[in-house]
Amino acid sequence: MLTGLVSLLPMRAATPSRAAEPLRFGLTPVFLTSDIELLAKFKNYLSRQTGREVQLVQRRTYEEITSLLLSGQLTAAWICGYPLVQYQEQLALVAVPLWNNQPLYSSYLIVPQGREASSIGDLRGDLHAFSDPNSNSGYLVTTALLAEKGLRPEEFFRETIFTYGHRNVVRAVASGLAQSGSVDGYVWEVMASIEPDLTTRTKVMLKSELLGFPPVACLASQAGSPDVMAIRSALLAMREDPDGQSVLSMLRLDGFAEEPPGLYAPIAAKMRLVRSLTQ
Amino acid sequence: MKTRLTALQETSRSFAVRVPAAVALLMVAISIIVTSRALSRLEDNQQRYLEQLSSAYLDGLSASLIPSVVREDVWEVFDTLDRSRERYKGLNVRWVTVTNDDDRTIASSAPDMFPPLEQMSSDAVAKFQPGGDVVIDEATSEARMMRPLVYQDQGIGRIYAVADVSGLMAERNQVLWELIVTNGLLTLLFMALGAIVMRWMLRPLGTLSQHLARSRQGSMMPIADEIVARQSSEFHELFSHYNAMAVAVNERELLASELAEEEKLASVGRLASGMAHEINNPLGGMFNALDTLKRYGSRDDVRATSIRLLEQGLAGIRDLVRSTLATYRADQRPRDLTPTDLDDLRLLIKPEARQRHLRLSWQIELAGAVHVPAVPVRDAILNLLLNACHSCREGGTVGFRAGVSEARFFAEVSDTGEGLPPHIAEYLERKGAGSAPIDRRSGLGLWIVKRHCDELGAELRVLEAGTGGTRLRLEIPLRSDVEHAA
Repeated sequence: MLTGLVSLLPMRAATPSRAAEPLRFGLTPVFLTSDIELLAKFKNYLSRQTGREVQLVQRRTYEEITSLLLSGQLTAAWICGYPLVQYQEQLALVAVPLWNNQPLYSSYLIVPQGREASSIGDLRGDLHAFSDPNSNSGYLVTTALLAEKGLRPEEFFRETIFTYGHRNVVRAVASGLAQSGSVDGYVWEVMASIEPDLTTRTKVMLKSELLGFPPVACLASQAGSPDVMAIRSALLAMREDPDGQSVLSMLRLDGFAEEPPGLYAPIAAKMRLVRSLTQ
Repeated sequence: MKTRLTALQETSRSFAVRVPAAVALLMVAISIIVTSRALSRLEDNQQRYLEQLSSAYLDGLSASLIPSVVREDVWEVFDTLDRSRERYKGLNVRWVTVTNDDDRTIASSAPDMFPPLEQMSSDAVAKFQPGGDVVIDEATSEARMMRPLVYQDQGIGRIYAVADVSGLMAERNQVLWELIVTNGLLTLLFMALGAIVMRWMLRPLGTLSQHLARSRQGSMMPIADEIVARQSSEFHELFSHYNAMAVAVNERELLASELAEEEKLASVGRLASGMAHEINNPLGGMFNALDTLKRYGSRDDVRATSIRLLEQGLAGIRDLVRSTLATYRADQRPRDLTPTDLDDLRLLIKPEARQRHLRLSWQIELAGAVHVPAVPVRDAILNLLLNACHSCREGGTVGFRAGVSEARFFAEVSDTGEGLPPHIAEYLERKGAGSAPIDRRSGLGLWIVKRHCDELGAELRVLEAGTGGTRLRLEIPLRSDVEHAA
């Protein structure tokens, strides 16, 4: 062990500048990114676990975060299953969150409370709120549902808007701005417990099948790097650590796990279906 | 005197009412002016406050909205409007809608009323001032404001906002009511103060009024010096004048009664001399008769003639003495006037008439006694008749007529003198003139007449007063039976 430590020392000494660089962790605009306390706790946990300074990087859209990740400016990022399958050659899984002890979630089609609608066909001519054009649950699932019927959103709906946040989709539908919306099922359920005033003004019309939960990913080329390994270890150890548990509890998650890339095959299939219609 | 006193009391009372009423009116007028001024100021302030707040609101919104409006980004516009609601809570925005330059809604805080991407109705747009001024609609308690969105000198859209101003309206109402209540209470307070102050200020008038009232029962009573000394300069002066007047009136009254006494004595003297003359005339005849009797008493015819002459003379003297006794009897109990009383008057003025060679025209239309007190009425008529005799030139005529008409006894005395001077005619007809003679040296007889008139409630009228002669009419209401019995 001593030998091991000694052998490590020159290596660390040889890359002092890299060790001094902070770990940059990207976050997509999932609903909780606005919670300053959660972000601070998450950052502190990662810093303590990795022994490194950690920077949390937030952007407005999935695309921006994905671009930063692809261009090597981020060590890892919590993205969505859709960008992961879009760039499956360049990206690799770091860890997958567990919700209800499963690495799975659904996409919800929501409408205002009191609206009589039971199938997607009833939503024709709506002003429909999507979350983000690179979101699986907030865009791809609904688009694929329409694609199955040979339809494209822009022709099925009167108008579509992107709110760039799942919480915003709920706000848009609850306020009556949009007549329907596509939202992350996990986000809607968590909001139902912490912001019931907002969610009770909406109702879930349709739940999709279970799909791979938005994962933490890195550049495939960096998958084995110490930085990525450090982040993966920290994430996987979260459920065992009191601070980690506190963060997980705020996120209403059970932990992080290593999952095979095949978890996202159904999302990839939806992507292909949609692409087949548009190309 | 009584009328003047009542008028004084009424004036004092009406001041105590009129001044607080005037104060109240003034206060109401002031209240209306103050209230309208205060409300108009409040309205201006509220308008300014609203304009500043709405301007800040619209400025803030415009800055955040312009990039999203350029892209016509429904969500971003909605998100901005939704977040601004919390920031501009003070403005109490009911709804705000953002349109593009063609008034097509991009997003509204009330999507149900203004769905995104639909044309805003021209009715809704027409409610806003194109100039961007804040319009307050009191009926709906809302303020409407519009702001054009300009980007690179190009109009790209508009913000239409409606704020709830029911709070401001309620404040205005509250201020109005507070002003009404406060001013109402102040008015009542000032009215009460006005009444108290006026009562206090007019208290000296009460004192004056009491003294005047007491004066009715006798001579005028001066106000005590210590009361006069306590008064303010105005009332001090008034009281001093009153006291001076009281002294003067009392002196005049005393003098007048002395003069009356003198006149009475003079008339007694005149009466006595008249009587002496009246007795003297038959006395001559009677002595002649006696002388004839002495000389030719043995002759039956001469004796009978002489005795008849003596009887006639003595009867004349007896009648004169009887009427004098009737007039000046000491035990003058009230009794009704009889035609005999009036006939006696003829005897009493006869010497005066004879002396001046006057003709007497006598007409008494009384069937019996009338319910008027005999003594003062006779005295008054006697004075009028004597006055008429004095006014007549030698050889003139003094007329007398008496009767009852419409429950009133009347007596008319006329002469063929040179008429009455106007001031004496006025004196005779003026009610209450009997309190003092016309002047110190003349008209005492008339003064006695006036005093009797006042006591009897009689009315003296001058029917003729020209150079052809004077005719006066005295009218006395007949006493009621009860009064008569008493």
